[in-house]
Amino acid sequence: MRAAATTSPRFVARPSLTRAWLVLGGGGALLLLALLAAVAIGSVGVGVGETAAILGRRLLALPLPVTWSPAAETIIFELRLPRVLTAMLVGGGLAMAGTVFQALLRNPMADPYIIGTAAGASLGAIIGILAPVLLPALAVGAGTAWLGLGVVQLFAFAGGIGTVLLVYAVARANGRVPVVTLLLTGYAVSSVLAAGVALLMFLSGRALGAIFGWLMGSLAGASWPSLAFAAPLLAASFGLLLLRWRRLNVLLLGDAQAAHLGVEVEREKLILTMLATLATSAAVAISGTIGFVGLVVPHLLRLATGPDHRLLLPASLLYGAALLTLADLGARLAGGIPVGIVTALLGAPFFIWLLRRSRSLVSGTTQ
Amino acid sequence: MNPRLRAPLLLSLLSVMLAACAPAASPSASGAVLASPSATPDTTPRFPISLTDDAGRVVTIPVEPTRIISLAPSNTEIVCVLGGCDRLVGVTDFDDYPAQVADVPKVVVATQVDVEKVVAANPQLILAAGNELTPTTVINRLSGLGYPVLVLYPQTLDKLYADIHLVDQALLGRTLGAGNASSVVDALRAREQAVALTVAGAGRPRTFYEVGVFQGTIYTAGADSFLASLISIAGGAPITGDPLSTSIQLEQLVAADPQLILLGDAAYDPTITPQTVAARAGWAGMTAVVDGRVTVVPEDPVITRPGPRIIDGLEALARAIHPELYR
Repeated sequence: MRAAATTSPRFVARPSLTRAWLVLGGGGALLLLALLAAVAIGSVGVGVGETAAILGRRLLALPLPVTWSPAAETIIFELRLPRVLTAMLVGGGLAMAGTVFQALLRNPMADPYIIGTAAGASLGAIIGILAPVLLPALAVGAGTAWLGLGVVQLFAFAGGIGTVLLVYAVARANGRVPVVTLLLTGYAVSSVLAAGVALLMFLSGRALGAIFGWLMGSLAGASWPSLAFAAPLLAASFGLLLLRWRRLNVLLLGDAQAAHLGVEVEREKLILTMLATLATSAAVAISGTIGFVGLVVPHLLRLATGPDHRLLLPASLLYGAALLTLADLGARLAGGIPVGIVTALLGAPFFIWLLRRSRSLVSGTTQ
Repeated sequence: MNPRLRAPLLLSLLSVMLAACAPAASPSASGAVLASPSATPDTTPRFPISLTDDAGRVVTIPVEPTRIISLAPSNTEIVCVLGGCDRLVGVTDFDDYPAQVADVPKVVVATQVDVEKVVAANPQLILAAGNELTPTTVINRLSGLGYPVLVLYPQTLDKLYADIHLVDQALLGRTLGAGNASSVVDALRAREQAVALTVAGAGRPRTFYEVGVFQGTIYTAGADSFLASLISIAGGAPITGDPLSTSIQLEQLVAADPQLILLGDAAYDPTITPQTVAARAGWAGMTAVVDGRVTVVPEDPVITRPGPRIIDGLEALARAIHPELYR
């Protein structure tokens, strides 16, 4: 029997090859469709042919005659394209990190933020947002950037990574990190940091709007420099995580069984945690804490494919990317609301519908 | 754990901010001043011109800007009072003055700057607002795309006058004081001084200006804020809140014992009246409530909008604080 949110099966059934290609091919097609739609549609109308020509000229250096305004080129190439690519990377990164944490912690409630990334990154980002307000001396340098990044992104990234390192160190006892201790420590540390977040928000005055947008998650700040910072980090963690699918499958059996099967459990847990945290922190740094994608996409795919990470990891990358790209398109068309609102508003009811449907399917076949 | 759970509180806080920019009801003096030849000899436009804005950024405007975007209603009013209203190609959906800006495309909707629409308008100058009213990320983004972005953040009347001169220079590329700004600022300054003269020598009642009350947290003028300075000029002794959160705790307010309570929030919420204020727990004993000196201030929109009409707001404050001097 395949239950709705199975994270600890007795064995990992291998999906058929056809099914695997169907899932990955469908994901690739959906992603391509999302990419095209999200670049072509926005609050200012730019013709489809014009959009294609601008991209062809800028990306492929095709010798096309310029029949469009400089404004159209800026909108397509400087505003929409980096934003859409950011949505894809962030969506893929969150979904993949969610898949890893759900397997690693053997907990269906796990999402990429569960052991402190969100609280740490939020506190870092808010300190970055408020620094020019609280210390007027910094205001003059507010526009300065390092590696094309603002203070906010750097603080958020450092806050996410730093918090998980702290949680991991605190949870460690006798060279081991029990999953339950890790979860509870993450919860406790997050609570302390969330109190700091709330305090700073109360004192933030006008900057509250900016903080609010950041906490909701928004891709409005996406640009080529921020993408250039996050893309290598995300790509590296994608590659390294995809290579570890076999170990994730074994870890699903539990720490003791995995150790019996020859996996260096503690070392492997640390590596997986840090890779998933790297992806999450890089994503959060450039987009804020976008909720729901990292929780739901892994569950949706597990329903469709079963728990084999050889398929689950690349599929979560594709479907997470497509989902967030489409959600961000919706957010832009809805007048620029934070994309986290869209993912929760549309994603949650769909998820509930799917859960109920799959449960009735399962009970229908087993009774 | 999750800060998103605090959304209801946040939304109500946001609505305080929105309220501060809500549409004004009172059309009044200081309309557009048309270009009049100035006595100063140097009237030749000098572009490119480099100006230092209120965020300390040096901004270079390459050509005389005939396509201007204003990201705050106060900026719009400054451009229009200088006779530049026709050059506006983008404003916010809060813009309501002067009436002709109703026809200008809205590039800021529900406080969100639509960067695509800004770019599509092909602006030659963008006037942003400071203190995160225009988010720093948006300012950096627009500057990064190559547009001259001038950040205006006046926190005193003198800074506002300086900003009117600054925008004048940006519009016309002239040396300081060569455009329309001098006559505009002279007129505003004369009205400010008239207020100061009227209230000089009168008593200075301890004045509490209510910006809003949400979930029991009372928002007012922050210490050293523009609003606090206006109350001082208008002849009151402002009771101020924390400079960062702009809130004051009820027991502090009771201890400060206001002699006059001005209800700025009543301009947007008809359920806030002197009667409902008197009925609030802990408020009945304040001198202002006992003496019946709790006053609705319908001019809140111009009092909290740092544009040229803020002098209308200053005069309204003086009338509310010292009605006996304005009979």
